[in-house]
Amino acid sequence: MSAIQTALGLVFQPSVLITILFSAVFGLIVGAIPGLTATMAIALLVPVTFFMDPVPAVGAMVTCSAMAIFAGDIPGTLLRIPGTPASAAYTDEAYAMTRNGQGEVALGANLLFSAIGGLFGTAVLILLAPALAEVALQFSSFEYFWLALLGLTCAVFIGSSSRVKGLVSLFLGLLVSTIGLNNPAGVPRFTFGNTELIGGIDFIAAMIGLFAVSEVFRFVIAPGSLSAPKAVTGSLLRGWGRMMVQYWRQQVRGNVVGTAIGILPGAGADIAAWVSYAMSKKLSRTPEKFGTGHVEGIIESTSANNAALAGAWVPALVFGIPGDSITAIVIGVLYLKNMNPGPTIFLNNPQYIYAVFIIFILANLVMLPLGWAAMKGAGYVLRIPRRILMPCILMFCIVGAFAINNSVFGITVMLVFGILGFVMEENDIPVAPCILGIVLGRMVEENFVTSMIKSNGSFAGFFERPIAGVLGAATILVWVLPLLMLLWSRRGGRPHTAA
Amino acid sequence: MRINDALIGCVLLVLAVAVYLYARTLPAIPGQEYGAAVFPVLIAFGLGGCGVALVAAGIRHWNGAVVWNDWARTHHVWSKLAVVVALVLAYILLSETIGFIPLSILILLIFLAMMGVRWWVAALVAVAATLLIHQTFSALLRVPLPPGLLGP
Repeated sequence: MSAIQTALGLVFQPSVLITILFSAVFGLIVGAIPGLTATMAIALLVPVTFFMDPVPAVGAMVTCSAMAIFAGDIPGTLLRIPGTPASAAYTDEAYAMTRNGQGEVALGANLLFSAIGGLFGTAVLILLAPALAEVALQFSSFEYFWLALLGLTCAVFIGSSSRVKGLVSLFLGLLVSTIGLNNPAGVPRFTFGNTELIGGIDFIAAMIGLFAVSEVFRFVIAPGSLSAPKAVTGSLLRGWGRMMVQYWRQQVRGNVVGTAIGILPGAGADIAAWVSYAMSKKLSRTPEKFGTGHVEGIIESTSANNAALAGAWVPALVFGIPGDSITAIVIGVLYLKNMNPGPTIFLNNPQYIYAVFIIFILANLVMLPLGWAAMKGAGYVLRIPRRILMPCILMFCIVGAFAINNSVFGITVMLVFGILGFVMEENDIPVAPCILGIVLGRMVEENFVTSMIKSNGSFAGFFERPIAGVLGAATILVWVLPLLMLLWSRRGGRPHTAA
Repeated sequence: MRINDALIGCVLLVLAVAVYLYARTLPAIPGQEYGAAVFPVLIAFGLGGCGVALVAAGIRHWNGAVVWNDWARTHHVWSKLAVVVALVLAYILLSETIGFIPLSILILLIFLAMMGVRWWVAALVAVAATLLIHQTFSALLRVPLPPGLLGP
């Protein structure tokens, strides 16, 4: 009980609450601006959190990401341009509602069910994380190796259209993670005599490059101006009661699926929204209404993307394995703040864990009034021309990359990864597996090499412990399943093609 | 601008071979079979495998080494990209001598003007954004942004 009291004391301080408020507004603005993703909001926020205490730093990131994912719905509904990829799944649907004069219903549904979804995901996080941590205490290098590999595998297999290109991105990230002195043998690798490289590539600078600078480059080649947003009049609260009653099934399903996908390492809010929208259509009694401005699918998927956000924190806190690209960044910050994620933090510093839970609840509650204000003010934010915004973002990136170690080397890393990210995305190579590779690379290597030494170089050791065996089998299944399905569909498809 | 997969595959293959050869030079831990080289070698094999797969896929769908889409055909877009890269490089090289405030205003002015923002709006935004960033990072977060020309 005392840990919870300490946590309440840590969170309910004027400075922490003001930080949360500021990051909420920041998240809302970045999320609402098309082309700026929730991950980018976090990337821009990280250099600022460097200078905060652990609790406000985590609070800022939790609030900012929740707001950004929700705010992505606003331009999707008003302009038919999703503010973040997580809103892309139901943008057409929401815009169709706006055209039918039901814009305020769509926005209201986005707000209400985003908040409820977030709270549901938080409840699961609160209940599941400590229980999982008990199990995780018994984990050895074998289990951690498989967990990390499973996370990387999911990132490649679920998140990208082309598996080979997802793998390319992952291997590039892993390669980057080997640079420097940080390896089990303590040998400098790929440093070529450069003293800056001995410390390794800082993943925050790399991430600012991959997610933010590459976006600036993309803007330069296609500045495209936005059309004026459709005006929304009327009460955003319209139909809240009716939607809650009529679509409670969709909402619960969206919450559960979203949280589950969030917990899955490597898959986050974007995928949760797509899966939930597809599922809603499949299970709906009126699938023909989908796409014509029907609120059913929006409710399910907008619940799912916010639920996924909290779900992604389960593996992040318990195992130190990111559930999505946002938690990948968060894990890096937790290490910097000496809040090393893993089961032991639940034993040694439970007050921090409770503080995270409290902040999650707070963030989803303040979403209601702030989100309401954001929707009313959306017209102004959406009118800021991007040709003014993007140069400022570039400058912000430069200073952010500099602030990591107060050295221009961070800016160099940022520029290199900005160009790399731009070329990769131009050629349909996803960047998310790369960032997961950079973050998890050291963990995979360390646990792999330790395990190999422990088992005297025998791969059988990786399957001898029960949990390791199950995790290993699951990982291999994810690898083999697509192949089996391909074979199966060919065998099943042959008679049809012959006929 | 879409580079053909086969070309990307070739680049990856070259990278894989380079990583492999480099990893072979890493010293082993005495008495241990698994040292610093294991992981890079595995990555080299992974990259090489992806390279082969991409070469195979690229040759099957070959329609020129690079497919130029609309933006890549226009000359001025490439020069704009080059200017942005040059602006960042300029900051890396010159920030220590010139200092954050003058250099940031200059970089923002050039970028904003290039995107077709009216000059007085550009000047206003450049100064306002620079001061805002300076206040946030230097005063609030105590990041030692280089004073340069404005320093003592």
